[in-house]
Amino acid sequence: MDNIVGQKSSLTWLVNLAAAALVLLWTIPTFGLLVSSFRDRDQILTSGWWQSLFPQEASVQYRAGAPDTAVQEGGVYVISGNVFDELALGEVSAFGTNSRDPAAYPVGETITTDDGYELTVNADGSYRLTSATPLEGTRGERIFITSTQAPSFTTENFVKVLNAEGLGRGFLNTLTVSIPATVIPILIAAFAAYALAWMEFPGRALLIAAVVGLLVVPLQLALIPLLQLHLKAGIGKSYMGIWLAHSAFGLPLAIYLLRNYMAGLPRDIIESARVDGATDFQIFLRIILPLSFPALASFAIFQFLWTWNDLLVALVFLGSTQDQLVMTGQLKELMGSRGGDWEILAASAFISIAVPLAVFFAMQKYLVRGLLAGSVK
Amino acid sequence: MEQFFGAATTIVIGVGGCLLYFFLTNLLLGRIFPASGPNISRNINRANAIRPWLFLFPALILLALYLVYPLFWSIYLSVMDANGREFVGLYNYQWMVSDPKFLESMRNNILWLIVVPAFSTFFGLLAAALTDRIRWGNFAKAMIFMPMAISFVGASVIWKFVYDFRPEGQNQIGLLNAIVEAFGGAPETWLTHEIVNSFLLMVVLIWIQTGFAMVILSAALRGIPEETVEAAILDGASPLQLFFKIKVPQIWGTILVVWTTITITVLKVFDIVLAMTNGQWGTQVLGNYMYDWLVRGQDSGRASAIAIVIMLLVTPIMIWNIRNARKEMR
Amino acid sequence: MKAKFLAGAAAFALLSGAAYAQDLKFPIGEGAFNWDSYKAFDEKYNLDGQKITVLGPWLSVDQELFTSVIAYFEAATGADVEYIGAEGFEQQVVIDAEAGSPPDIAVFPQPGLMRGMAAKGQVLPMSPEIVQWTKDNYAAGQSWVDLVSFPGADGAANTFGFFYKVDVKSLVWYVPENFEDAGYAVPTTMEELKALTDQIVADGGTPWCIGLGSGGATGWPATDWVEDMMLRTTTPENYDKWVSNELKFNDPIVVNAIDQFGAFAKNDAYVSGGAGSVASTDFRDSPKGLFASPPQCYMHRQASFIPSFFPEGTVIGEDADFFYFPAFAEQDLGSPVLGAGTTMGLMKESETGRAFIEFLTTPIAHEVWMNQTGFLTPHKGVNTDLYGDPTLKKMGDILLNATTFRFDGSDLMPGGVGAGVFWTGMVDYVGGKSAQEVADSIQATWDSLQ
Repeated sequence: MDNIVGQKSSLTWLVNLAAAALVLLWTIPTFGLLVSSFRDRDQILTSGWWQSLFPQEASVQYRAGAPDTAVQEGGVYVISGNVFDELALGEVSAFGTNSRDPAAYPVGETITTDDGYELTVNADGSYRLTSATPLEGTRGERIFITSTQAPSFTTENFVKVLNAEGLGRGFLNTLTVSIPATVIPILIAAFAAYALAWMEFPGRALLIAAVVGLLVVPLQLALIPLLQLHLKAGIGKSYMGIWLAHSAFGLPLAIYLLRNYMAGLPRDIIESARVDGATDFQIFLRIILPLSFPALASFAIFQFLWTWNDLLVALVFLGSTQDQLVMTGQLKELMGSRGGDWEILAASAFISIAVPLAVFFAMQKYLVRGLLAGSVK
Repeated sequence: MEQFFGAATTIVIGVGGCLLYFFLTNLLLGRIFPASGPNISRNINRANAIRPWLFLFPALILLALYLVYPLFWSIYLSVMDANGREFVGLYNYQWMVSDPKFLESMRNNILWLIVVPAFSTFFGLLAAALTDRIRWGNFAKAMIFMPMAISFVGASVIWKFVYDFRPEGQNQIGLLNAIVEAFGGAPETWLTHEIVNSFLLMVVLIWIQTGFAMVILSAALRGIPEETVEAAILDGASPLQLFFKIKVPQIWGTILVVWTTITITVLKVFDIVLAMTNGQWGTQVLGNYMYDWLVRGQDSGRASAIAIVIMLLVTPIMIWNIRNARKEMR
Repeated sequence: MKAKFLAGAAAFALLSGAAYAQDLKFPIGEGAFNWDSYKAFDEKYNLDGQKITVLGPWLSVDQELFTSVIAYFEAATGADVEYIGAEGFEQQVVIDAEAGSPPDIAVFPQPGLMRGMAAKGQVLPMSPEIVQWTKDNYAAGQSWVDLVSFPGADGAANTFGFFYKVDVKSLVWYVPENFEDAGYAVPTTMEELKALTDQIVADGGTPWCIGLGSGGATGWPATDWVEDMMLRTTTPENYDKWVSNELKFNDPIVVNAIDQFGAFAKNDAYVSGGAGSVASTDFRDSPKGLFASPPQCYMHRQASFIPSFFPEGTVIGEDADFFYFPAFAEQDLGSPVLGAGTTMGLMKESETGRAFIEFLTTPIAHEVWMNQTGFLTPHKGVNTDLYGDPTLKKMGDILLNATTFRFDGSDLMPGGVGAGVFWTGMVDYVGGKSAQEVADSIQATWDSLQ
């Protein structure tokens, strides 16, 4: 239908541009996280992620080889090496030995340090520290380097997260939690939504309002009484408990979304089916369910996301022993007691995002009405 | 593996059980009130009166146990002391109205309630409309949807980096301050500027919820019968007219649903505020304030009272929904 | 299991099912450890087949270290102990206890939380033997007991906790070589510290890095500052009264302590990034300024755990070091030390749970951890030569040289204050409000809690 009217092309351009702008705006923060997940913690905290894509000048500290690594060469003690063995590759532009003036000397110059040693640093990073007497102390001399560093990335964060003990188990646990917790509420909600949309009975409006009202019950307050309930009912901390909890918590939104969608379906289809003598059960299974596929698919995506990323409900209703921990719990543990390891968080965010995105892509075709159009007409 | 079979069995039993339940009860209903014989019309009426409840029963049981029961539990706790031991009447509510932090939370929540649903829905509609018309629409959708797939805490971290502050002269690692500096401005500690910081936190939620709005609205847009669209095009409607005069009115119901759902998400939001400012510098919201008293203040009375206020705030939405439902029935 | 046990265990392991002997970090009988205490315990208990769970806030490294201690208990008794590290420990222990499924033992990072749960009858009192043992064998034993003695559900006072693992908070971190480069000396009095602060500013540097950001807990680093300042400007008795609110939060004594902190944190020239950035800088990021080139600051006041946030490869004692956050010479208050610690609470009655607490009184339970890393103890019966690194020993010395030891006050106050308005109030304070204003509003909340 796009090419019915002639001057469409400029509009198409505009639409493409606007969409591109929107997508860019929405992805930049995530992209920043993606880039950050390939950097180490010190890098993340000292320069912006966008800078890491280009060479940049940085002032860093390097420690020369320890005094006991000195070798004797023609009567002098020598420590030599290359600063870039440890630091990201680049080119040295200046160096210094005093923290108060880290770029005191140009490369190539030979200077005398406070301790009386002679030091040269070259542009390629090689350095030579010499002393007439044996060097003292246990730690190497500090050399401050101003250098232009090439972009450098590491996959260490991902390796660390993927190798984490119990992650595989956590992955399996999460799947075990989220699949039934997605499928069951959809089915239950679909029936309820149909009743609320297409069946007439007293109190219907009130029920709909109550469902909307229940959307807002804060989870945190429900946890203690419900866990008590589970313990009393003998379910305890088990998968059964968490399936029930997730299903129930997801129900109000499911019913609300599905009822709204179903109420919008063409009335004549349902009426004519009724006239043909179909029961409500048949109408629901043969007409409503297939027609509601886009709504079912979108709710499935959201419910799956919610159970996938959930930590709180899982910890309370499933428990937190090694065997019971879900993936989010495993990742949280990796971040340590004080949660300061942002590079781990960045990497784990991308690992845990993979499955929901795959689900989204898989479900996307069901969001398209065209597929189902045939069954309507 | 064992648990995986367990899960698979559960799905089969759960799904099969549900279907079997609906099928059997339906069959039973047909047997008890057969649509034939002498009392046919009375039977049909009775069956029709009961059938909706059969459809609703599993949902109602779950809702009652898992949401209504805790709701009454909360009401009960809200008139009890911190430990839930002694009855204190309306003390917790009295405390609330005189508590400056609570009043601040109310003010902020109202701001959130106006801004977040409006912008999320607007951007969601825009995204849905745009991505439906381009070749790489699916990819674009996935990109805009992506924030939904990141947990709230993850999203908070991402945006904390965006708003990060380094003193002037140091390398900025926050994108916002880097942009400000690039345009010659001075870096700011964004999250400590009252009012501004609330909006910056709202941006995070808008960024997340737009994906939700887009997915739902896009499904609705595609659900518009093609005949009406084609008819409008033949009538010579411009694309903008087509969109605003034909398409938007048709999905108006869905837009309102999206709006309501996001409104409710806003009322419950606490992770973002907790992770980014913990309600300091004037950014407190009710959800986080409740959490604060529940977990840190160890005061289930006050926490429950705040929760009740959150639920009261949703009343207008409920009333509006009742009206809507009535209208549809007529 | 049997085969391994035959291969690895020492002879006395025969007395009990030493099923876990293969996991032991240090072979039994080797090194300067107090193995006698282990053997005595081993002979006393046989708990084969018993199982308990311990829930605590320790994760990753700490979790491994604690598990290495647990292994000895398991080897000695044959019991099975499962340690669960919880990210949201406070929340989880409360929910589990309320719902009726608590762990056998919980590791409380703050006595305040334990007090609340004890009042609800969710924590069991320690046996009189353990209480007496603590009094006799911990340095300043009585004060440790006092910290975890509070009224139970029946209103009768009892001792509910046993301290295991303590931290020292009164530390100032610095880079010795940066001090050397600039010719600064480590200050030994508060007056010297203030003079040094001014000296650094005069030399064109920035003396302090201070960051209060901590997500949901933003503000807490400032409470440590204020507590340290309380101990340096008023008597320990007043400190205790302040913590129990006998001394009001808006008393001039407290307001003065807050302003003493403000003298550092609210001076643009003193703090890296200026006073405006103090509240929003993450506490985990703030020490990084010490290691920048050129340094963004020279000193950072923080507890003994902070080296985990130093740049990778930093060697404590060489690349970075600490000194005692000194007291005023003109005030005759000795050398007070602020600290914190984790305390064990029994949540369920069981022989194994009680035995585990008893195990934690043995020197070996302390030595195994201290010989590795990150563990300080007031246990007088341990071999302090076993401290894993000289830094720990130095911290231990600060602990021993203290004329006054006081526990982190905010951990002892009611949660709504100590983990609530005290934090937020400090953020408001560095944001520009006056100390009096902030103290008034904190006191108002405290009043409303009664």
